Amino acid sequence: MEDDLKWQPRVVGLLCKWCSYAGADLTGTSRKKYPDNLTILKVPCSGRIDPLLVLKGLMMGFDAVLISGCHPGDCHYQTGNYRARRRITLVKRFLDYMGIPDQRIQASWVSASEGAKFAQVVTDVIADVKPIGPNKLFKEEG
Amino acid sequence: MAFKKTAKNNITKLMTAWSHDFKIMVPTRKNSVIEFGDWDGKDVDFWVWYRNTVVPPKVFLLPVWEEMIRFSKNNHGWGLEVPGSEQKVLIFGVRPCDARGMAIINDVFKDGYPDYYYDIKRRRTVTVGLNCVQPYDSCFCTSMGIDPAMSKDVDVMLIDAGDDFIMEALTDAGAKLLHGEFIRSASAQEVQMARSMASSVTGKIHRKLNTHGLSEKLLDRFSDTELWEEIAAKCLSCGICTFLCPTCFCFEIYDESFKKQGSRYRGWDSCSFKLYTQMPMENPREEKWKRIRQRVCHKFEFHPINTGNFACTGCGRCIRLCPVNWDITQVIAQITGTMDSSLTEPSKNKV
Amino acid sequence: METELRIEARNLLEKGTVKSIIGFTKGSLKFTTTPLFIRNPDDVHKLVVNRFIKNNLAKYLAEVKECVGIVVKGCDSRSVVSLIQDKQINRDNVVILGIACPGMIDVFKVEQLAGCDRDLIDDISVSDNVAIIDFGGRRKEVELSQVLYDSCLDCKCPVPTEYDLLVSGLSHIGRNEDVGKAKIQELKRMLPEQRWTFWKEQFRHCIRCYACRQICPVCYCERCFIESSEPRWLSPMAQWQHNLGFQIIRTIHVAGRCTDCGECERACPQNIPLRSMVGEMSDLVFKMFNYQAGSDKNAPSFMAAYEVTEAEEIFR
Repeated sequence: MEDDLKWQPRVVGLLCKWCSYAGADLTGTSRKKYPDNLTILKVPCSGRIDPLLVLKGLMMGFDAVLISGCHPGDCHYQTGNYRARRRITLVKRFLDYMGIPDQRIQASWVSASEGAKFAQVVTDVIADVKPIGPNKLFKEEG
Repeated sequence: MAFKKTAKNNITKLMTAWSHDFKIMVPTRKNSVIEFGDWDGKDVDFWVWYRNTVVPPKVFLLPVWEEMIRFSKNNHGWGLEVPGSEQKVLIFGVRPCDARGMAIINDVFKDGYPDYYYDIKRRRTVTVGLNCVQPYDSCFCTSMGIDPAMSKDVDVMLIDAGDDFIMEALTDAGAKLLHGEFIRSASAQEVQMARSMASSVTGKIHRKLNTHGLSEKLLDRFSDTELWEEIAAKCLSCGICTFLCPTCFCFEIYDESFKKQGSRYRGWDSCSFKLYTQMPMENPREEKWKRIRQRVCHKFEFHPINTGNFACTGCGRCIRLCPVNWDITQVIAQITGTMDSSLTEPSKNKV
Repeated sequence: METELRIEARNLLEKGTVKSIIGFTKGSLKFTTTPLFIRNPDDVHKLVVNRFIKNNLAKYLAEVKECVGIVVKGCDSRSVVSLIQDKQINRDNVVILGIACPGMIDVFKVEQLAGCDRDLIDDISVSDNVAIIDFGGRRKEVELSQVLYDSCLDCKCPVPTEYDLLVSGLSHIGRNEDVGKAKIQELKRMLPEQRWTFWKEQFRHCIRCYACRQICPVCYCERCFIESSEPRWLSPMAQWQHNLGFQIIRTIHVAGRCTDCGECERACPQNIPLRSMVGEMSDLVFKMFNYQAGSDKNAPSFMAAYEVTEAEEIFR
């Protein structure tokens, strides 16, 4: 019971190198405070996000997965984030149908100059995830 | 060994007595799939609907997957743990075909390098056989030299005799089971009557596989690429026939680890899979027809030559559960040139 | 229907338009058909068309390197088109012999109604949308919709739209989404935790035979993700977490190409309701993107395409 009260969500962030990762960096250099629950992994583009990365994150025990990329139209590779859109939308909706609450899969567009937005996104994501409790989906009982 | 009997009404009490020493596995139905599952302590109505399971009882000796070693890094180096259970298991309702399958697998594992994981399970498992009364139309055990009404490959053989079961202990472990207030002696006459009744089941098996001179014929046609390509054409290379075969035993060993801990696992593998013979430089059975040829020849040529037994007990699961109705009896008939005898009555379906 | 098909098949083989024909013939078990590959025009009499031709033969096109004729129902023809869209086969290399599908009989449902296994059923026949089951001297008559596969009851288009020959004769009873989607609807009424528990319990039974993957026409990858050992995404061990993970990812990978033919569910020896996964995915793709797999051979592959403005809802 005490453990539950002390629990803080652990979120893995798959951030695209050109926009979101740079934006997260800006948040830091601007000395803007934001929750420290996020573990950041850099990917070249949000279009690189494979559903396997998302599922693996959840299987490893992360409470949520945040995918963040360039705004549509601004992708460094032109069309990568367009591909990400269909993919991530289907992953989120389908996993919700399977019983993985859709708060566990989060997505955002954060550009390299949006340091403040990134901080807000992380704060909002944590707030979204906290009420649904820790991820025990893949744990074996007994 | 003397024959015993027990009233069918007493089976629950008998099994309850056995359950003090054994975990009892009985036929259960989950998702409409018949499989051996934990006995709930009460229900023995399974023989109303039990014909045979989908997954054969070999799964208790060679599980779909098992953990061999658990390893973790600690302050002094590496800790190793071998998970395992001493829990004794009694499998109730093993059919003669599956019992023979277990005997064939036993033969394979008893030679050469001792297999610790197989051995501990073998030692702690007893099987109680049950005669077949309603074979499937896919069954052809009689062609493989198996009597569906009788098995010597189990610890105790039960024969359905109406109100009673005639029980024969075939091993010491089996004899230990046949004690107590619910076991009585059976007379020679009762045994004879029960056996007579039970043997009528052989007349219900229509599917045949012609094993006469089969090994030689397969050897003859080994290089007939066109034949094997034709035979293999509709196979999907899934693992159903191999996984559900009572005599198949192929496995793969994997190591899985993450950071400072992990496990070594053993799990089922299938010669039907394309990657089964994948090696760094080449794959000798890249083509599907080579895999099919290997499977058929292993069962009906190589294994018999090496051990004297066909690696097939005629349980028919491969036919019954193949998603595209690939049929070993038809294949053998085609190879031996005896097409007609292996086909069952043609489907009468009208649209 | 059979005669028309056989005549055309003979034609194609005699003229040499195709090197072989992939169709159906009588199976070796009751109420079963099996795929047949014929090269000789004299073999065309073996081809059958009936309510038991459940397999999706498009699977075999991935292996074939010559011009073939293929017998397909509505869903199968869309799988062929999916393969064309994915550039796995050339439209010129395949002669599509379409069957206007009347709906396939689910022998499992018949078994449930008769209360006995298939080999103990004497006959199944159909007359005027009534299915007649004869077993052990008794006869049971039910509405045809009670014995068709869920995927057939849910079929949006039983008649192939891409074909070189269309054989018709029996009409489909029409879509009954309520029954066809009943299992999926039931799942949606559950709470998320209940749904997860349901799937967890289902996948404890999975033995990783990969029949679902092997029978699926759009699972044609030379090297499946599950076989990757570096990185090792999921274990080949049949633990429920990895079984479920495998099927989830497979479903996402076939999204937009799966035509909900239902073969994966039929192939599963453990009766895991796989159509409740791939069928829902197929539905999601349709509802969210108005795309139906295999309906237009000139359309780009679903996952390879995008609209400049779409699917923004989930992004902050």
